[in-house]
Amino acid sequence: MSDLLGLREARLAGAGGGTGAILEVSELIKRFGGVTAVSRCSLALEPGRIYGLIGPNGSGKTTLFDCITGLARRDAGAIHFRGRRIDGLPAHRIARLGVGRTFQVIRIFSELTALENLLVVSGGDRAAASERARRFLAFVHLERLESEFAGNLSYGQQKLLELMRVLMLDPTLILLDEPAAGVNRTLLNELMEAIERLRDEGRTILIVEHDMKVVMGLCERVFVLDHGEKIAEGPPGAIRADERVIEAYFGR
Amino acid sequence: MRRGFLVAGGAGLVALALYPLVGSGYGVRFMLQLFMWIALAQSWNLVSGLTGYVSFGHVAFFGTGAYATAILVAAHGWPWAPAALVGGLAAVALALVIGYPCLRLKGPYFAISMLGLNEVMRVLVSYFEGLTGGGLGLSLPALYASVPIYYAMGLSALAVTAAAHLIITSRFGLRLMTVREDEIAAEAMGIDTACHKLYAFLLSAFVPGVVGGLFARDQGYIEPVAVFPLAFTITMVVMVLFGGKGTVWGPVLGAACLFVLQELVWANFIYLHQLLFGAIIIIVVLFLPRGILGVLQQRYRLPRHV
Repeated sequence: MSDLLGLREARLAGAGGGTGAILEVSELIKRFGGVTAVSRCSLALEPGRIYGLIGPNGSGKTTLFDCITGLARRDAGAIHFRGRRIDGLPAHRIARLGVGRTFQVIRIFSELTALENLLVVSGGDRAAASERARRFLAFVHLERLESEFAGNLSYGQQKLLELMRVLMLDPTLILLDEPAAGVNRTLLNELMEAIERLRDEGRTILIVEHDMKVVMGLCERVFVLDHGEKIAEGPPGAIRADERVIEAYFGR
Repeated sequence: MRRGFLVAGGAGLVALALYPLVGSGYGVRFMLQLFMWIALAQSWNLVSGLTGYVSFGHVAFFGTGAYATAILVAAHGWPWAPAALVGGLAAVALALVIGYPCLRLKGPYFAISMLGLNEVMRVLVSYFEGLTGGGLGLSLPALYASVPIYYAMGLSALAVTAAAHLIITSRFGLRLMTVREDEIAAEAMGIDTACHKLYAFLLSAFVPGVVGGLFARDQGYIEPVAVFPLAFTITMVVMVLFGGKGTVWGPVLGAACLFVLQELVWANFIYLHQLLFGAIIIIVVLFLPRGILGVLQQRYRLPRHV
């Protein structure tokens, strides 16, 4: 399955320019009423690496994703993507700049077919887009189901479809919200392999995940959130031993 | 198979084009009204069937077109055909003014705001008596034009069905459906949902404006309650839901079935007619939420152009 993705030629050579961060979140604050979901959170991602974002439930991981992708408006702070300030841009503009994401709860277009789910994302020549979409479907073994309504696919198939839909954006930065949840072991291994290959193509990936096997196996660097604050950052091994992290998860 | 359909469709169109030569006066008027309902249902489908933003005030565009046309014909001596086109443009202008703020509202709030639009338009038209004749209505110069209006209505129905075909089979149409399916995911996938909704809304307003103008010319007299009736909107909605929302031929099928049914029931049991649409709404919602074509599409995986 080495070049099935066939995206390498489209790789953005200048993604982040090799120097500096591709994504830079500085002092981000997001409140919902009286709840501060993200609290003065800063983090920087370098291009071509896989990052993990972990933390107990309600620690602000998904809200951080929502702020980065423009689905939620930050209350304070700044977000730069490839040197350009993106907080304040509408979500669809941010997506077009090359930030793709999946959702914790699958959000596919149920009454569109599997193929159409991918097609709507791309502009330009339709025949070329169809061919690319079919290649993606084949990559996750869904080619025989291309004219099936996406709502009729199984949970795992929908999850793969959602990931392939993100790839139609040809994103430089991919945010995955719990990609392993509800996915069986065989599929999980394929998924992890696919994520690594996306990284090899030069993409940057940030993963929210509770499955420690995925986090430890894939991520080069992990951020830990607790009550919206970044309490730790480092390689997975060090994070596992960090006292503040253990405390956040298990209490004192 | 495809060729067979094309031949049958072409033959049907020729038959409809020749029909006024042989048909009775009643027959021509019946078909004229059927065309009107196809055009209205199909227009409603373009915005509400595709994007899921249910417009409960679509008749406002019909009424606006009717008044714009009637004023141009009665007060300025325009011929009815260009006047009806201007009626369509007036409806689009109204859609632009209303759509920009209202399409930000979601679900039931949008539906209610559109319901309000229709009431506001009716009151405005009643209020500006100098222009519209107020509650007394507006009379157009006498003209016998059933047959030309038959063709104009037919063309309107054909044009909006052709437009629906083009849109629904295109990626633009699929993107409109993503708004219905999951607006947040659509945004996250780079689809400018605000723009798409507005385009669909503007497209869906034009033909009702034109058809309203033709209706005004055909009736020869209009008044606020006659061209802004909530019942018209409800009829459009029921026709589309019955035939299959978001499909090309569903609105045509729904309009044809229900209009014929309505005529039969109306002619035979005058009071039952009022119960009919209510009963159909309940049956469709309970047993056929996707409508006739929607069910067939799901079961037999029909392509989008059906």
